[in-house]
Amino acid sequence: MESWLEFARGPLFRLSFAILILGLLRILFLDIWGAYKAYRKAGDKSMPWKLILSRSMEWLFPVKRVAHNRPVYSIFSILFHIGLLLVPIFLFAHVKLWEKSVGISWITLPYNIAFWLTVSTIVFAIALIIGRVFNKSSSFISRKQDYLWPVLLLIPFITGFVCANLNIDPKSYQFFMLMHVLSGDLIFILIPFTKIAHCVLMPLSQVVCTLAWKFPPSTDEDICTTLNKKGVPV
Amino acid sequence: MRTTVVTDEERKKAFKSLRKAEVVEKQKLDVRYHIEDFDVNDRPRRFLEAFAAILKHSNYKMALDHFIRMSAKCSRCAVSCQVYQATGDPKDIPCYRSELLLSVYRRHFTVGGLLKGRLLGSGYLTDEKVQEMAESFWNCTACRRCTLECPAGIDHGLITHLGRYILSEIGIAPRALVVSTREQLEGATKNTSAIPVPALKDTLEFLEDDMFEEKTVHIKFPMDVEEADYVFFPAVSDFLMEAESLMGIAAVFTATGDSWTTGTGYFDGINYGLFYSDRMLERIVKKVDEEARRLKGKNILIGECGHASRSAKYFIPTYCGGKDAFPVLNIMEYTHKAWKEGRLKLDPDVVTEKVAYHDPCNLARQRWIINQPRELLKAFCKNYVEMTPSGENNICCGGGGGTVSIDEIRPYRTTVGGKLKADQIRKSGCEILVAPCANCKKQLRELVEDQGIDCQIVGLHDLIYKAIIFDDSLVVKKEDEPEGKEN
Repeated sequence: MESWLEFARGPLFRLSFAILILGLLRILFLDIWGAYKAYRKAGDKSMPWKLILSRSMEWLFPVKRVAHNRPVYSIFSILFHIGLLLVPIFLFAHVKLWEKSVGISWITLPYNIAFWLTVSTIVFAIALIIGRVFNKSSSFISRKQDYLWPVLLLIPFITGFVCANLNIDPKSYQFFMLMHVLSGDLIFILIPFTKIAHCVLMPLSQVVCTLAWKFPPSTDEDICTTLNKKGVPV
Repeated sequence: MRTTVVTDEERKKAFKSLRKAEVVEKQKLDVRYHIEDFDVNDRPRRFLEAFAAILKHSNYKMALDHFIRMSAKCSRCAVSCQVYQATGDPKDIPCYRSELLLSVYRRHFTVGGLLKGRLLGSGYLTDEKVQEMAESFWNCTACRRCTLECPAGIDHGLITHLGRYILSEIGIAPRALVVSTREQLEGATKNTSAIPVPALKDTLEFLEDDMFEEKTVHIKFPMDVEEADYVFFPAVSDFLMEAESLMGIAAVFTATGDSWTTGTGYFDGINYGLFYSDRMLERIVKKVDEEARRLKGKNILIGECGHASRSAKYFIPTYCGGKDAFPVLNIMEYTHKAWKEGRLKLDPDVVTEKVAYHDPCNLARQRWIINQPRELLKAFCKNYVEMTPSGENNICCGGGGGTVSIDEIRPYRTTVGGKLKADQIRKSGCEILVAPCANCKKQLRELVEDQGIDCQIVGLHDLIYKAIIFDDSLVVKKEDEPEGKEN
């Protein structure tokens, strides 16, 4: 099991991390390139930056629109995201690993805060799954990945919590750690190809939506030509 | 604000189709709006061809790519949709409606979707799916309220807009809109209400006489004046149905003394292209621009109409010269500015009823015109009440997205589409509801009638006409009048 663990947190981690970064860069590039091309083609190039910024901020720091629409779900979702982002990046043990391997480090979460954030992420992930299953509108529009993602995200949090906080025998520890690292690797690989891509694309949404309404000039003639509709009455 | 799901009886009434069974059979399409005859063969292929052509020549692809990469299906949009709230049907969840088109895009226009589809042999666009889209995209009022509630920022209104556009390219579009647009673009009268120019002139002269009798001020509707500051394009139906709004606008210009004109070459602000086809949108916008150029005007002024204003404001720059295009104003912006500058005086004792303001989605959703009409109303309506939610979060009248012009779906609009709005009007207790939009006004009148609400629906300038105070120099004293003019 030890060699498996070494493989999972060595080459496999490097591979999955590379897929994560390159994959996210790819979709980020494609998104920005698409937006740039749309801007070039647009007949009206004025952009309401104030509105775009204000609406982007509304969702990057979601406070304004939480209370009146599915408040419990929304607040749980925000709390879930806080732990989900902070714990993997700022956990002391994770930062130490980065320091040991590539020599860079950054601030870390105090143990107590990391502990409670982990607990809250687990609790809220479960609550979100329950919410998705039992909310009529939610379950109707859900795809497989919408159920699988919170379950998958639970694995590294639960196994990480077990390894960090419970006294277990070395064999079990190794098993939980292997699960922890493997699930983390899998998550990294899947992020750029699934809805979790929103972690980098979301800030661009308002720009993309604004640009989508900025049509190119004179498409009527082009489309008529392509569809062979020239001279066809309305 | 929430509403309850309609009763079974209301549902039956709302979804009753007035189309003849043989037409449905012939067109192989079970929707509630009338459609002109079209080629029913091979619809999925032709849908995909139209989709491909539109993607090639537009900016939609970038948005669709963005949406399919990050849609998280949180269903927050469900709560904000007045249609879903009233039907309780999960197929009316905005995210579900959008997925109808996004899934076609994913399957047929992305590499991943193509591979997956080939591998599993599934996901092809079928006739049933075309049918579902044809129904679903016209159940939506395109009010875009859901887009404000989407944490991922997905613009469901844009997807509805695109879905309708593609459908129209294969002949599936409400007849009411197509016929009007045909008259506007290719007919003899060049407007959606088919008003001939002589009839227009007669109407306006009649209104001028009426106004003189009432206000003893020579209030004019200038026609074909060259180099005017403002070339005016109302929703043409106002000439038939909203005379008071037009009289208010003419009165404001008389009070301010600014030059304005209506062109007899083209005078219709309505643009149904916004609701069903970008190609028509472009053609109509270009007509407006052409007329303003012919008259050598300085600004394009749109009357009290949400979609006409949005079409001109956002698409004249698109199709007619970018930043060099004509500046576009809505009449409320003009009136508000004149009032702010002290060029317009309003009597605060004329309108005593409880007045509320309804935000047309096309004016408020993008935070364009929200405060100006409110400031004006508060200045002369003692009993002004605010409806909540309002402004950019306003609730649609239920006839948005062109659905108000489809008379055969009136029961749907007043039972389902406008249910939440009806609750809001009742809650506000207003006696007069100001709706500065031809479409909102028509829908709201039908809504209060069908829902049994005692409330009068008017335009902003209807009230301004009542309250306007003219400078003494403009008022014709009886003794100033030449003899024989009194009659």
